Amino acid sequence: MGVVEKITSYGIRIFDPKMVHIRRFNFKLVARLAGMMLTILACAMVLPIIVSLVYRDGAQFDLFFSAIAILVLGLVLRNIVGKDTDYELHEKESFWITSVIWILVPLAGSLPYLFTGAVSNFTDAAFESFSGFTTTGASVIADLDHTPVGLLIWRSLTQWIGGLGLILFIIAMLKKLNVGSVQLYDAEFSGTIQRKLHPRIASSVKLMWSIYLGLTAILFVLLLLGKNGLVDSFCLATSAVSTGGFMVHGTGLAEMNLWSRASLTFFMFLSGVNIALVYHLLSRKGKDVWKDQEFHVYLGIFLVAVAVSVSAFLAKGCSLGDALGFSLFHVASTVSTCGLSVDCPTQLPMSVAGVTFFLIIIGASAGSTGGGLKIKRLMILWRYVRNYFTRMMHPNVVFSVKVNDMTISDEYINKIFGFVFMYIMFIVCGAFVLTLCDVNIPTAVCVAAANIGNLGPSPLINTLGPTFDYVSLQPVAKWTLMSLMLVGRIEIFAILAVFSPVYWKR
Amino acid sequence: MTRNDIRALVYPLGIPLLGLGGMMMLCLIPSLHFYDGTALPMFVCGLFTLAVGLAILGAVGKPKGRVDRRVPFLLVALIWLVLSFFGTLPFLATGSVTKFSDALFESMSGITSTGATIFSDVEHLPPSILLWRSMSQWIGGFGIILMVLAFIPSLGINKYSLYTAEASGADNSGKGTITVSETIRRTLSIYIFLTLVFVLLLRLTGMHIWDAVNLVFTNISSGGFCIYNDSLASITHRQQGILALAMFFSGINFSLLFYVLTFRFGKIRHKLDQFGFYLVVIVVGIAGVMLALHYAMDYSWKDSFRCSAVQTLSVLTTTGSLVEDTSFWWTPILFFYVVLSLCGGMAGSTSGGLKVMRVLILFRNVRNILRNRLHPSAVNPVRLNGKPVSHPIINNVMVIFFVYLFTIILGVLLLMICGINATESFGACIACITGYGPGLGASGGLGCYEAFTVSAKWIASLLMLMGRLECLTVIILLIPRFWKQ
Repeated sequence: MGVVEKITSYGIRIFDPKMVHIRRFNFKLVARLAGMMLTILACAMVLPIIVSLVYRDGAQFDLFFSAIAILVLGLVLRNIVGKDTDYELHEKESFWITSVIWILVPLAGSLPYLFTGAVSNFTDAAFESFSGFTTTGASVIADLDHTPVGLLIWRSLTQWIGGLGLILFIIAMLKKLNVGSVQLYDAEFSGTIQRKLHPRIASSVKLMWSIYLGLTAILFVLLLLGKNGLVDSFCLATSAVSTGGFMVHGTGLAEMNLWSRASLTFFMFLSGVNIALVYHLLSRKGKDVWKDQEFHVYLGIFLVAVAVSVSAFLAKGCSLGDALGFSLFHVASTVSTCGLSVDCPTQLPMSVAGVTFFLIIIGASAGSTGGGLKIKRLMILWRYVRNYFTRMMHPNVVFSVKVNDMTISDEYINKIFGFVFMYIMFIVCGAFVLTLCDVNIPTAVCVAAANIGNLGPSPLINTLGPTFDYVSLQPVAKWTLMSLMLVGRIEIFAILAVFSPVYWKR
Repeated sequence: MTRNDIRALVYPLGIPLLGLGGMMMLCLIPSLHFYDGTALPMFVCGLFTLAVGLAILGAVGKPKGRVDRRVPFLLVALIWLVLSFFGTLPFLATGSVTKFSDALFESMSGITSTGATIFSDVEHLPPSILLWRSMSQWIGGFGIILMVLAFIPSLGINKYSLYTAEASGADNSGKGTITVSETIRRTLSIYIFLTLVFVLLLRLTGMHIWDAVNLVFTNISSGGFCIYNDSLASITHRQQGILALAMFFSGINFSLLFYVLTFRFGKIRHKLDQFGFYLVVIVVGIAGVMLALHYAMDYSWKDSFRCSAVQTLSVLTTTGSLVEDTSFWWTPILFFYVVLSLCGGMAGSTSGGLKVMRVLILFRNVRNILRNRLHPSAVNPVRLNGKPVSHPIINNVMVIFFVYLFTIILGVLLLMICGINATESFGACIACITGYGPGLGASGGLGCYEAFTVSAKWIASLLMLMGRLECLTVIILLIPRFWKQ
């Protein structure tokens, strides 16, 4: 399915190479789309304002003013800068749009944190906002219990909007972007082979949003049934389904009952699955889901990790209930790159720490809200390596790499390899900057990996050396982590392209 | 496996064992000269090794005709294993080491020219053992070039391995047109030539011949054992410079050296890209670390240049000699060095790591993907020395990179399970797999691996072996399908 689609989707990119040089870069379109996104963002702030009014937390005016500021900025970009644009979109603009929107929106989204005074400086506000929109979930708000309720709702909302991707929002909204939307879709989805739900990209994106909304609503209700408060349920439901991982209380999930934990665990697991599969599960094609190889691997990884973790805890003398409860929650949270965590019954055993690191690197399924390298890429990589070993023994055998019965070309494999290589390079560079800020080396590597994987907090980070917390990091480290989050969230090559000299050469 | 296959597996062990035995006999010289009382055990070890070597050559006939395809893979791993097992004999026989795991660690570290040591105090070791340590690295350094040049192509993986990636498209690369014995002859002569030149240079600075020989043996082979407790810290700056130059040469492709030294400059064209990148990495590395040392650690410009130059060369060529106790250096420098040691020297040199060649291909590939994203219909392949490199070859370089990385993560995990703390596991694993030697924390700098648990020492020894054989040849032995008929 996918490769054929890929070819057709490339096929409709009909443009004359000569034309590319003649036409000018469409800045207006970029401004218009960015402005549109900001306007939507301002509209989304209605919810936190209402909550703020209802709960009388005193933040309503701050939230209102930040909403107005975002709205004004959005309208200026949309209606003045981006006036009378055409909707022709090419390769270059699609990279640029993806990058600009993903930088501008989180920056604008940091205003409420600044206005309410929940954080003291711009770096922290931006960090919190980037962490939210990229669904990382690393937080620099020191005292969650005294944060205005409205702001908590805003924080959760940023995760939820970011979960499926800002660009998908635009594609769903904008009917005029027919041809270009394929490129945008590609640029946001990191170049993995995607299942589309519907031949028309806008329709399939709308379907995805409705599934996403549905999942969140179900989890919200389940959490309410588990006797959690309205705000808690809303925040945790968005946290889990978007694989963000922001907490609501300073105490974490310690006081949560078994029902709520179980439903969180299940939905975290589910949000690591390709959203198209969830759709198929709900629709008539339920059987297809069990044939999907990526899902098999996802399930396999999950079960193996849980088994290792449970046995490690049992060996440390925990009760089976504790071991199983923690392991399921921890593994689901890590593999989906959600990052919610419950208290560990004992100190984290080394084997679990190692497994956690592998899970952080691997990440969730392609096409899910989770981050990481994505299972599909690693499957292709793994199969190529396996073939390589067979070829060492039988040099004349010809192999091809197949996933779900589709043959993957050498060129495509090459792109995936390049992607993974860059991903690792970013981890190394990020870790290097962290070591400049006096973080010890293994912790730095794990933190960098957790942030580029959009995981955020993990029990692993604190077991490798002195306690690490995001709050006390230096600004340079925070900005580095923000860029890692961003790089992990949108396609690496989209953002690299914008910053490479090749891009601006005529 | 037929009888002939087993012959093919055992017979080639004979000559390396004879060589090893001969080296042990050479260690008798300092033993007798300094009267350290190890002459008898050393002699017995040498005699035993020689006897086993001769017995193999005598009793096991030459293999005839075709052998099983698996034999070369097994052989490569077997040679290294057997040599390091025999290499433990002098340590055990002279009583310098009491535990087998320690002896194996030290011997493996020598034969793979890694340079990680379990001795916290080497200055009290008998001179014969010191020479044996240096000697084992010298043999190991030569062995690795030999393996890459002579054995790897016969493994059937040459098509996909580094060497062809390097020679791909370059018809007059020299490889393929000369015989294995010619390759061995050339490499050995260059190796001995370099060793003699550097011993001479050190002698000219007034160093005692004993020290000079030991230092050159361990540095030209990118090994890193030292006969002093403080590594290179207490020798003069000029001597440090000479050794830095020796390390620089140890990271250069030996056929490139051969062509330069025999004035055949026409043949070096296809290696210039790699050499250029090697130089760039060195210059950038030295400059970066120099700035860091000057500004972050308040070294004078002169000292920071000296320390940075010697240490960066030592790291990049994965030698592991230390210009001073680096464990006190700024953490970011140490992290940079860990990454740099992964890069390694040129292919076909004595250095370990991934080799700059592969790193170059990896980076060019990224640049290329970026270009292709922007101009999807343009044809521009990754080029090396002006010749296009095909996707399968790039992918195979990637395979090695990922297998390497995977092994590292797994190694760190295993060491942590064995009770080593995270920083130290991370440092030790990478130091062992790249062949650098000193890790981080207690095993880093002038420290040693003495405190490692027995299981951790075994794992570290295995990592050294895997790193030296570029992971693939060891991992393939662990695949069940390999053993199926």
